Order: sequence, then C-alpha cells, then structure tokens
Amino acid sequence: MISIISSFSRLSLLPLPCRTSKLLFHTSPCLAGEPLKKKKRLDPAIIKAREDRKKRKIEKQIRRLEKNARQLKPIEECEIPLVLLDNQKERVRQPFKYSKGVLETRELLEKQWAKYKHEEHLADIQLVDRIMYAQQKAVDELRKESEELYLEAVQIEPMLLPLKIEGPSDTPSIHNYYAPDGDYQDVSRKWN
Amino acid sequence: MLKTINNLKALHSTYLSTRNLQQSKTKWDLLTAVCVERKPIVTPALTELEQTFHKYLSEKEFELSLKSDHELQHEAELKQQSLLKKGDVDLDATTKQTAQDFLDACTEELAQFKFADRLTDADRSNNLKVISRKLDKHLVLLTKQKLGKDNIFLLPQGVRQDGETLRQCAERVLKESCGSDMKTKFYGNAPCGFYKYTYPKSVQEETDSVGAKVFIYFARHCAGEPKDTDCKWLDRQELQKELNPKYLDSVAAFLIDEK
Repeated sequence: MISIISSFSRLSLLPLPCRTSKLLFHTSPCLAGEPLKKKKRLDPAIIKAREDRKKRKIEKQIRRLEKNARQLKPIEECEIPLVLLDNQKERVRQPFKYSKGVLETRELLEKQWAKYKHEEHLADIQLVDRIMYAQQKAVDELRKESEELYLEAVQIEPMLLPLKIEGPSDTPSIHNYYAPDGDYQDVSRKWN
Repeated sequence: MLKTINNLKALHSTYLSTRNLQQSKTKWDLLTAVCVERKPIVTPALTELEQTFHKYLSEKEFELSLKSDHELQHEAELKQQSLLKKGDVDLDATTKQTAQDFLDACTEELAQFKFADRLTDADRSNNLKVISRKLDKHLVLLTKQKLGKDNIFLLPQGVRQDGETLRQCAERVLKESCGSDMKTKFYGNAPCGFYKYTYPKSVQEETDSVGAKVFIYFARHCAGEPKDTDCKWLDRQELQKELNPKYLDSVAAFLIDEK
C-alpha cells in the first residue's frame, strides 16, 4: 500500500503549488518544459577568488565602522571652520567712534521704533478682535434663522490645511523668467 | 441649584417661543455673498520711520560684523599694490581677478538686470477691471448687480436655494457670477460678515418677506480672472467711495486694515 502511494507521489499526482491554480485546473508539466541548460563549469580558483573579494570588502567595511564606532558624525554646519578661528584677529573691524549727537539720535530712534511697533501690535490685536466679532455676529444671526444651517456652518473645513501662501515680494515676479542655476561641487564628506 | 436650572429652562423656552413667533411673523430671504480678496503681491512701500530704522539696523549690523574673505582679499591686494608702486616687489603674473574686479563685475550684472515694475499697465491706464492693478494693496472684487431698479456694484451675491448649505450656495454664486476660471480658496465653512436690509413696501407685499439677510463669505483669490461680468477690483479707499456706508461697515468689519 505504502509503495503504491509513494509511486503515485513520484508520478506527481499530488497538487504542487506551481502547477495548479486555485480553481484546481491542472496544467501539464510538459507545457512548461524546456530543454535543460547546460551548466557552466567555473574554475574553482575563480570562484574562490570571488568569494575572497567579497569577504575582504565586508571586512573592510567592518573595520571602517569599528574605527568610527565611538566617534559621532560631526554636524559641520554647527562647527566653526578652523580657518576662521585662525585668522579671527585679522577680521575684527576698527571700533567705530561716533559723536554724542549721533549716539543720542540713535537712542531716540530706537525708542521711537519701540513705540511704533507697540502701537502696531495694539492695532493688530484690535483688528483680530474686530474680525472675530464680525464672524461671531454673522454666525449668531444665522443661528436665529436656522439651526441646521448654523450647524453646517460651524463644521471644521478639512480642505483648508495645508495652506501654502507665497509672497508678497519686493518686486513682482517676471513672467516666463528662467532663473539661471549655478554649478556646484559636493564637497561634503561621506559617513557610513 | 435645581432652581437655577429650572429658571434657565424657563428662559430657554420663552426664548424659543419668541423666536418661533418672530419667524412666523417676519420672513427674511437668506442670501450669501462672497468677498473675494486679492492679497498684495508686492510689499507696501516703507514709511519714513521704517526706512530710517532699516538704515540704522544695517549700519549697526556692519559695525558688529567681522571682515569677510572678500574684504580680506581686497585689503591684501591694496597692500600689494602700494608695495608695487614703491618697487619693492617685482612684477609677477597678476592676471587673476582681483576683489575689486569681482565687485565691479557684480555691480554691473546687477545694474543690467531689469526687475519687474511695481506699477503695472493697469495702474497707468487706471483700469479697474483687471486684477493686476495696485500690486501692493488688498483688492476686493465687486460685480455689477441689479438690485430693484438700478444696477450697482456689490460683492457677488445670490439667494440660497433649498437643500444647499450656505457654503455651497456661496461657491455656486461665485461660479455663476465669475465663471469657473477663477480659482479661490474659501476661509472655512462659516460666514465672516453679516448684512441685513429691508425691502421697500411694494416689494415686501409682492414677495411677503421683509427683507434680506446677507451672509458674507470670505475667499482668497488664487488664480484666474472673472469672466463675462462687469466687475471692479477695488482697494480699501476705493471701496469707501463705491459702497453705501452701511454696507461698507459690514464689509469693512471683517477686512484687514491697510495703512
């Protein structure tokens, strides 16, 4: 009995996943058949050389990683270049000397500016209050007319975000202007 | 505690009943209007104080700064030149670009570049119909509409139809009056302003509604121009001249002031 079953399995009557679809259509293995490819025989020396090369590459990477293991990747933007530290003294300007009058007008100007900005800020707050009041009034009036419309109106609008706004700029953009792009050379060091 | 709740309930019910009474007595037409605003494209001119302070700040920044590579190079070259004049150093090939040359080249390039004009053709011909006017101002769109017997310029408005929310109505009104080419962004589902007016007696009897309640939506202009309409893009001062004072008050209440 067992021998019969085993002979059946050799005849591949058991459904193999690649030969049958889920609908149990049996495709004959003969249809998928093709002449066997002749296996290339490689020189064992070449194979060994290849494997060695792979191994060496990985070893090199490991060595590099081990070397930098303790060292954190520096954030170059946050570090002062050594060149600048070296000639810092050359870069200091002659101290500017102003008369008392100039210093006083400067002081006055700063005070004037502070006052100006303060007034602007107050005006802004009032403006926001006024706009919010106007909207609240509109919504309240709407509620008096119809509760349903009111409930629709106070829904959150999901399409409003993200909101992208450009401008204003100092001069308007030039129509059809092609901005020439400069060349650059990537000099950042590789860390991996 | 209970008492106050009861009181509140009583208050609420009386409020509701008066509301119902009012509704049965007087019927108002619900209208929506859309205030389409074009934001400034260029920054407004600086005031005198802003200009002086700007100058002061840049002076101060220069004083506190360190010399740049360019300045160092320039100084070194000046020194070398004075040495050359004395004849201390023999002439070696100095064909490379000096700092002064570089500066001159940059200034020339800047002088040759033509920035776009802050004044547009529409400003010169005082054309109110196109959007590309007064680039440094907030502009509000008005369209010509028939109100009773006369045609006047108003924010685009229309009557709400059954089954519409106010926001949908506002979008429809804008599309009907300005076409679908103009792209806008509505600021939320709630109206920003409110205006109410009563009809003349004859109209009241005809339509048996007392007047109209206009709910104004705010939309930011994104692209395109209104089509097939008699329209005007007006800044704040021009709005003051164009709109009737009461209407102006309700519109100006939700607009940002301009200096």
